[in-house]
Amino acid sequence: MKKTKLGEFEELVLLTVASLQSEAYGVEIKRELESRLKERLSVGSIQSALKRMEEKGFLTSEFGEATQKRGGKRKRIYTTTSYAHKVLNEMKEIRAGLWNSIPALSHELKLI
Amino acid sequence: MSVNNSIQPPQWPLKLLRTFVKDEYLEEIEGDMEELFLINAEEKSLSRARWIYTVEMVKLLRPVLLKNFSSSPTFNQYAMFKNYFKIAWRNLIKKTAYSAINIFGLALGIACCLLIFLYVQHELSYDNYHENGHRIYRVTHGWKESEEKGAKSPYPHWVWGNAPIGPALKNEFPEVEKVVQFSGRADILLTYEDKMYQEEGIFFMDSTVFDVFSWTLVKGNPKTALAEPFSIVLTESTARKYFGDEDPIGKTFKSTGSAGRGNAGDYTVTGVMREVPANSHFRFDVLVSMNTFRKSVPQVFDAWGYVDFYTYFLVNEKFDEASFRKKFPDFAERVNQDKHYVVDIEPLKDMYLRTTADRQPGETGSLSNIYVFSIVGLFILAIAIINFMNLSTARSMERGKEVGVRKSIGADRSSLISQFLGESFVIVFFSVIVALILAYIALPYMVNFTGKELSIGSVLNWQGVSTFVAAMIVIGLIAGSYPAFVLSGFNPVLILKGIKRSHTGGANLRRALVVFQFTLSIALIAGTIIVYFQMNFVLDKDLGFDREQMVVLDYNYDGSVTEKSEVLKAEMERNPNVISVAFSRSVPGSYYPHAYTEIENPEGKVEGKGQPIFQVGLDFVDHFGMELIAGRSYSRKYPTDSARALIVNEAAAKQYGYSNPADIVGKKFSQWGREGEVIGVVRDFNFTSLHRDIEPLTLPFQAYASRYATVKIKPENVTETIAALEKVWKQVVPQRPFLYSFLDDTFNRQYKADFIFRRLFTTFSCLAIFIACLGLLGLATYTAEQRTKEIGIRKVLGADVKSIIGLLSRDFIVLVLISIAIATPVAWYAMTRWLEGFAYRMDISPWSFVLAGASAVFIALLTISYQSVKAALVNPVSSLRSE
Repeated sequence: MKKTKLGEFEELVLLTVASLQSEAYGVEIKRELESRLKERLSVGSIQSALKRMEEKGFLTSEFGEATQKRGGKRKRIYTTTSYAHKVLNEMKEIRAGLWNSIPALSHELKLI
Repeated sequence: MSVNNSIQPPQWPLKLLRTFVKDEYLEEIEGDMEELFLINAEEKSLSRARWIYTVEMVKLLRPVLLKNFSSSPTFNQYAMFKNYFKIAWRNLIKKTAYSAINIFGLALGIACCLLIFLYVQHELSYDNYHENGHRIYRVTHGWKESEEKGAKSPYPHWVWGNAPIGPALKNEFPEVEKVVQFSGRADILLTYEDKMYQEEGIFFMDSTVFDVFSWTLVKGNPKTALAEPFSIVLTESTARKYFGDEDPIGKTFKSTGSAGRGNAGDYTVTGVMREVPANSHFRFDVLVSMNTFRKSVPQVFDAWGYVDFYTYFLVNEKFDEASFRKKFPDFAERVNQDKHYVVDIEPLKDMYLRTTADRQPGETGSLSNIYVFSIVGLFILAIAIINFMNLSTARSMERGKEVGVRKSIGADRSSLISQFLGESFVIVFFSVIVALILAYIALPYMVNFTGKELSIGSVLNWQGVSTFVAAMIVIGLIAGSYPAFVLSGFNPVLILKGIKRSHTGGANLRRALVVFQFTLSIALIAGTIIVYFQMNFVLDKDLGFDREQMVVLDYNYDGSVTEKSEVLKAEMERNPNVISVAFSRSVPGSYYPHAYTEIENPEGKVEGKGQPIFQVGLDFVDHFGMELIAGRSYSRKYPTDSARALIVNEAAAKQYGYSNPADIVGKKFSQWGREGEVIGVVRDFNFTSLHRDIEPLTLPFQAYASRYATVKIKPENVTETIAALEKVWKQVVPQRPFLYSFLDDTFNRQYKADFIFRRLFTTFSCLAIFIACLGLLGLATYTAEQRTKEIGIRKVLGADVKSIIGLLSRDFIVLVLISIAIATPVAWYAMTRWLEGFAYRMDISPWSFVLAGASAVFIALLTISYQSVKAALVNPVSSLRSE
């Protein structure tokens, strides 16, 4: 956990890639995330998150098919690595643990 | 597909993306962007989609996605270059004086070169704008002594010649496409309503003019504008002068016509043309149709002996100059009975700069002036570059440690060379900026000097700019290469150990360069002095007639004025400030015709020869203060003088073989239909510029062919006298405008080119010596600094200020003396060549060179004295304290 930090936005993008499976390429990821977050995202922000995570080893990618819609340019399909799954699970557990500890904390807080 | 074609994202953001984003990401991102664009275009609107596309593209420029400019493998070099620039900048700042001398000197040199380049460019651009320029030729006419076929004329040809050659050319040669002929430069008085001007420099012009030359007619039909007799074409500015904003077409001028060319009458405006470009070998404001001439004086158009026409022609592509020239002697013989007549042709490109013919329709340029100025420009630049080289090598010891350190760290020689070359480029770059500013400031003065319409705009095309940039690179290379090679060659071990490399070689080279600089400067100064003396000589020379206080009134052969000449003379001479009045067809320094005169030679045979002719009034000889050396002048006492007498000059007497001028008096003559006796001989006077020898001249008394009234006035109250003259003029001949000029001004106008030459030469030689002194100042400063300790020790041991100044100055003075020795013969040779252009020239006195040398020594001493005095006055305690 110490070595690799996963930002909040990056985590969201990573989860989206994981959920989209073989459909996970730039435009689709953007659409999915926009509909879930209910806000507009720029291509730049998503692309930079993807590239950063690829560098950190959360994602791998390969070229997919080219469509006419894309002016004959190929898609890049992203897939999550097992390392990403491990980190995502860790994050989830840490969060879950934190959530579990909330009532106690709030109780104590109330005492003050 | 068709949809895709019509809906296209904007292109420039894509280019932006491709420039800045890593190549490996491009395909994916471009694809995504295009897909999104199409979706947006469908869902929203095209313009909205484009907007989003653009904004997104800009947002894509994120650090992660960008090409890595800073962390590429070139990183180290980049830092190195940064360091080079930093060092270059620090050096500039630290040694402000050196940098200023370098930059300012180079800037002056470049600015001079730039201005001279503009001038040369302008001179070379003459007549280039004619679309058919390479196919335009003109005829030159000559006269040979022998009747042998193919012989050449020993005299310069004339461009001005007869009329029938034009039609003959067109008939005889199929390769001649168009012939255009025009008259000699004429003056004409035009009146429209209340506006009356004497138009000078008009031509009677064939209607084919617009087919041959690329002049644009703004109004009127170019084919017919000059067809009808008494039709007239104005340039735009002339049209505005008479008609303001009215449409000039169809308006009529009242005119008194032009003597011997166009009758008086109504002239109708049939066209308005653009101004003739400044770079044309002849220019005019008004054209009158040649048919006006043809109708007014029809007989001259068949006369082979009548000279008043310029003949230009346009050839077609089949034309071959060499074979055409071969056919020409035959042709001349076939069409003209006169066996002495020879013709030649001259292409348009040679007409301004390379022509050797006389009687040009306009001004001609001087190829030698172009050479002289180009060379002077290069000299100045060379002097400035040498400054740079000298100062850089002189300072090389200071940079030695830097070189040593760089080399030990691992710099190889080539990178050091590029560093020092780079530094010189930085300095050249700054100089160019300063030079452009200087040139911009100086341009109006240059225009004023040369009288040419120079503008930076004329070279602001890609050729001009690329030449300029290339020249800058060359200057940077020349200026920087020597220091770069010397500095980069240092041995780091020796340098860092503190053993100073013996640099006598460098010092010798510096000396050689200083000698070179001063040789150039001294040669230029000597040249300037000689040009000055010669011009003074020309201006002050006794010409053999009075030219001071002579007012010339020009009435352009107007018969109605000549009729009143006696009244005018009497009325004007009543004014106490007027000494005398005389009438003549020519005055010295103005136009004169040539005549064929037969005079009895000493053997009693009648001999015919051609020579210039001044048709004069009764008192011309006395009025101009000419000296009669034999016989008598025209006089009222001899009524036959008006038809049967002739005065000639000494040279004419010699021309007919009389070694004693008095012997020609009383001999029979016949000239232009008059016969009689030679009655007097005047001493030779210079009736044209001193570039020429005095030619034989005849001065027949012909009161009714006059053009000028010359009024000799007293030197006091000139303005009032002229006002009084004008009053008399307005009373007696109100139909003519009162146009006056001073004879000495008009005469000196013949030296216009020489004056320009003198001014430019003076200016540039001053600049040259100035730049050379800048360099000397820099070197002196440097030497003084280097020898601070030596001076300190000398002072401690008892040297006085005087001996130290001597010590510091001696080296430089020796160099200047060597320069004088080299410069003197060079300048002597060059100036002798220049003086050969004058028939009357002063002898080059050795004093010119003494003066030039002395001034160079003086200026050099003055320059270094500041530094040497400063160095000599320093308290030795302060200069020796540091060790």
